[in-house]
Amino acid sequence: MPNEEHAATPPEDFERPLELTDDFTPGESNFIKVDNFKFFYGKKEALHGINLKIPSRKVTSFIGPSGCGKSTLLRNFNRMNELIPGVHHEGDITIHGMSIYDPSVEIIALRRRIGMVFQKSNPFPMSIYENIVYPLRIAGQNTRSVLDETVERCLRSAALWDEAKDRLNDSALGLSGGQMQRLCIARAVASRPEILLMDEPCSALDPIATAKVEELIIELKKDFTIVIVTHNMQQASRVSELTAFFYLGNLIEFDNTRKIFTNPSMKQTEEYITGRFG
Amino acid sequence: MYKEPAKPHTLSNFTTSLDQLRSSVLRMSSLAHLNLKNSIKGLMERDDDWCNNCIADDEEIDLLEMQIDHEGIEVMSRFHPFASDLREVISSIKIGANIERVADQAVNIARRARKLNEQPELAELHLLDNPIRLSLEMFADAVRAFAERNAELAVELKSRDKELDLLNKDLTDALINRMQDDSPNLPSYLNLIFISRCLERIGDHACNIAEDVVFAVNAEDIRHPGKV
Repeated sequence: MPNEEHAATPPEDFERPLELTDDFTPGESNFIKVDNFKFFYGKKEALHGINLKIPSRKVTSFIGPSGCGKSTLLRNFNRMNELIPGVHHEGDITIHGMSIYDPSVEIIALRRRIGMVFQKSNPFPMSIYENIVYPLRIAGQNTRSVLDETVERCLRSAALWDEAKDRLNDSALGLSGGQMQRLCIARAVASRPEILLMDEPCSALDPIATAKVEELIIELKKDFTIVIVTHNMQQASRVSELTAFFYLGNLIEFDNTRKIFTNPSMKQTEEYITGRFG
Repeated sequence: MYKEPAKPHTLSNFTTSLDQLRSSVLRMSSLAHLNLKNSIKGLMERDDDWCNNCIADDEEIDLLEMQIDHEGIEVMSRFHPFASDLREVISSIKIGANIERVADQAVNIARRARKLNEQPELAELHLLDNPIRLSLEMFADAVRAFAERNAELAVELKSRDKELDLLNKDLTDALINRMQDDSPNLPSYLNLIFISRCLERIGDHACNIAEDVVFAVNAEDIRHPGKV
């Protein structure tokens, strides 16, 4: 069972300014709050009563071995798991104090507030420009000046503007792997979400492209709450301020990243991050 | 209290590299301890051969210090250690530097001893007995604390360092008084004071090693208490 002291709440020194920012003010409305959350694939319980509070405008990493439930939890934040037949959940997840399972919540609206970037970049088979404005077009926005402004803003946010500004009408499929992933990030921020979920966003990228995406993540946290699932512990230690370690569907430890990677409280965390696992 | 990592690394090369680093530190410390004892023998037995051995063997210790640095850097660049492994690598590199300074103090003692050996023997030489015993014990215990991952032993060294500081101060005062009464032997008294100072520095390095052991084992920084 997870240690309640470390699993249920953010670390005690949460209110203390963290290493990279000092603008964090704790408060219920700032959190993604996971409350005794259980998730089932059919009869199989994949998450066992997770309790977690994620602060706004910080990068939080989820780490753990394959099958530990980190991606399952991440995909619950925008209710993507509901696309899978036979799943159900217990407990609750609230964002800004409101349950994402409240009957009044529209899933499309929820996903507009919570962008997602996947392991494999998935640009649409259309131009770079149209990829970015796609979320706006489906929301009914077709004003050219608004679309142009969004494209420039998002590509700049994704550090892709200089590379793409002269080829906006070219197919997105002609970009390199790293550029495609940054384009997907640009598309994810086009609808101005509050939260950005990233599921192993760099696992298919070379080190240079990875560094650019990591730089981007650090830049984006000024405007977004970012939750990233990664198997790369160096990446977790580089980009995130908070890290949660999951194992067999339990949240084992949640603490400041610096603490997790230098002196974790739980034996299982220590064994995992030092490579003494399994 | 003996802390052994619960499980071996999944990557056996990682364990091998950490073990290699650890064994280099232990080898270096045993050479430094031997050199220190040789310099003390040269001093107490008035035998320049022991002093010369100590000075000549210092080169191997210098090379080992560099080897430890390289091994530590290699572990960090190849395996990206975290948590207890990271602390162990950092501590090993710092401990290597402190052992090298202990060996330098042994060389200083050997050089001073050779000068003393050229002069008539002073009865005051035996005022060094206690500082020698204590500094040798402290260094040996600091190394033992590292070898056994024994943070309690390491913490205990701090109080012994105060005792050594006090012995050094008392000895220096006594020798300064003797200088006034026995001015022809003034250079020899000065050499004894320098040797006492070297022994006191060895105690300081033993304490530094102990602090690094506590950091490696308990993730605690016990340097400069009350200042953080």
